[in-house]
Amino acid sequence: MSQGRDIYGDYATLPIPESELRSTLNIFMVYMGVLAVIAAIFAGSGLAQMYDLKTAISVSIIGNMLLAIFGGLIAYIGGATKANTYMLLRYPLGRIGAIIGSLIVSALPLIIWFAVETWLFAITVNVIYPGHPLTSIVASSIWGGLLMMTTAYIGYKALSILSYITVPFWYTLIMIGLAAAIDLNGGFDILWRIRPQTIAPLGIGITYVFGLYAAGCVITSDVSRYGIKKWSGSIAWGVHVVLFMTFLLFAGAAMTLLTGAPNVIVAIAQIGLGVGALLLAILGQWTTNDNNLWSAALAWVNITGKLTKRVWVLITGVIGTAIAALWGGLWGMSLDPFIMFGILLGNFIPPVGAVLIADYYIVSKHLIKREYKFIPGSKVSLVNIPGVVSIFIGGFAGWVATTYGYRLPTGIGVADSIILSFILYLILTTIMYKLKIKFEIGEWIISEVGI
Amino acid sequence: MANTLNIKKFALSSLYLMLVFGILTILLGYISGSYRGFYLSLTLGLIILITSVVYIPLIHRRRDDDIKGVAIPALQALWVTTSMALGYMVTAYAPYFNIPITISTILFVLGFIMLIYGTYTMLKISKVSRVPLAV
Repeated sequence: MSQGRDIYGDYATLPIPESELRSTLNIFMVYMGVLAVIAAIFAGSGLAQMYDLKTAISVSIIGNMLLAIFGGLIAYIGGATKANTYMLLRYPLGRIGAIIGSLIVSALPLIIWFAVETWLFAITVNVIYPGHPLTSIVASSIWGGLLMMTTAYIGYKALSILSYITVPFWYTLIMIGLAAAIDLNGGFDILWRIRPQTIAPLGIGITYVFGLYAAGCVITSDVSRYGIKKWSGSIAWGVHVVLFMTFLLFAGAAMTLLTGAPNVIVAIAQIGLGVGALLLAILGQWTTNDNNLWSAALAWVNITGKLTKRVWVLITGVIGTAIAALWGGLWGMSLDPFIMFGILLGNFIPPVGAVLIADYYIVSKHLIKREYKFIPGSKVSLVNIPGVVSIFIGGFAGWVATTYGYRLPTGIGVADSIILSFILYLILTTIMYKLKIKFEIGEWIISEVGI
Repeated sequence: MANTLNIKKFALSSLYLMLVFGILTILLGYISGSYRGFYLSLTLGLIILITSVVYIPLIHRRRDDDIKGVAIPALQALWVTTSMALGYMVTAYAPYFNIPITISTILFVLGFIMLIYGTYTMLKISKVSRVPLAV
């Protein structure tokens, strides 16, 4: 049977052919490029307000190990099937459910985060080099947004080349900047002795760390499908998150404990590395934000079945850049409404991952005994009722837990939403299957172009 | 066959050159007289040194006619060393490190050579072996 024609680009709707597969190192570099962002260091600041450095490191390692498991399980599905997230969702949610899932997971939030990251990039550039017309927030947003669009426009090849250029340099310079900041602010002796007045329970910190990247875990398949081995993505994801996310959180926490602020980039500029700081800001944000845009474009192709991935990169990129340059830059308005909407959607992202894991590893393998297939002629349902119900109930539970502090069962939004949707999906599918109630409605036959 | 052999030789000689640059970087840091400069050189130089030491034997073990088998590790190692070259160029002159101007200039030039030569080598290996640049 034909493997299908890639009319959208970057195999947006088809499994990756063998000739396009990449090494585990390549997958690792792309993940590392996504993580190479100042916001990851800023997140360490939250830990510094709860713990001393030693506890912050322990909490980070445990939280990141949980992320490695959650993201690793999803990355394996992409590696085994060679399909991206939005294609995979056709099984646990159905074709129409997958459209809803793709809107929740990538299509909408990633445009918002692209805008926010572009805006943050512009602010950083403006802080490092104030007073120049090209470094104003409006101008930096525009040229920054355009830069980030170029690699996403070209595709996966460009994303990985940029990651290869950036990653070794970026992490080394962050390490050097951190060491310099510690050296200038009293050294390690003082750093290990500083502690906040009260130490928070470990569980709060672990779920805080898990919540930082849980949404990112859900779209790991977009990259892991390129892995030469089924497990390439899982290994790359696990190593990058356990070692390097822990390092970035440590950097942010250490900077905050010593100086009161986590801004490593400013510290790097202060030690006379102006160009280095600028390069860090540009390359770091670029390797993260082009992936946001690329994944959003893949999602839109799968949702609409119209226009190529490149056109969607341009559409979503222009919208994101306009929000950053006009809304945030020119009119000086807060991006909070967008961020709030992104956070609201964020409650429903981890449940999508939970349902996918439950369906692939348990329901499909052991209950209804089917394989995920994406070649032309393969059949999927239109709506998988337990899947759609589980992500909405799980997401709502997460929102309630975060907003009102109800224990459902943990009281921590991300954890509650994952646990609840995972269990709910298993219960609903098992009961309906045993009672011979059809839980997948309608039928959709995958066409020659993968939609 | 001759072409394959050239790739292996070319890749190995390039990595040996990077190894020498790495050692030179550490030595330059040592004679800079500044502990900050030394730590900087040690960080940058060691990454190149370790990468070369790990990958050179790996390439040596590959068969001469295994074009892909030679090109993949060669490109992976060269990406690391070439990316680090950017580090040399942005850090060499930073006042914080207190590196004398002569040594700073040598480090900057080393970084520049590594950047240009590394890029050239990767493009050539990728073209001849038909292995994607971002392998």
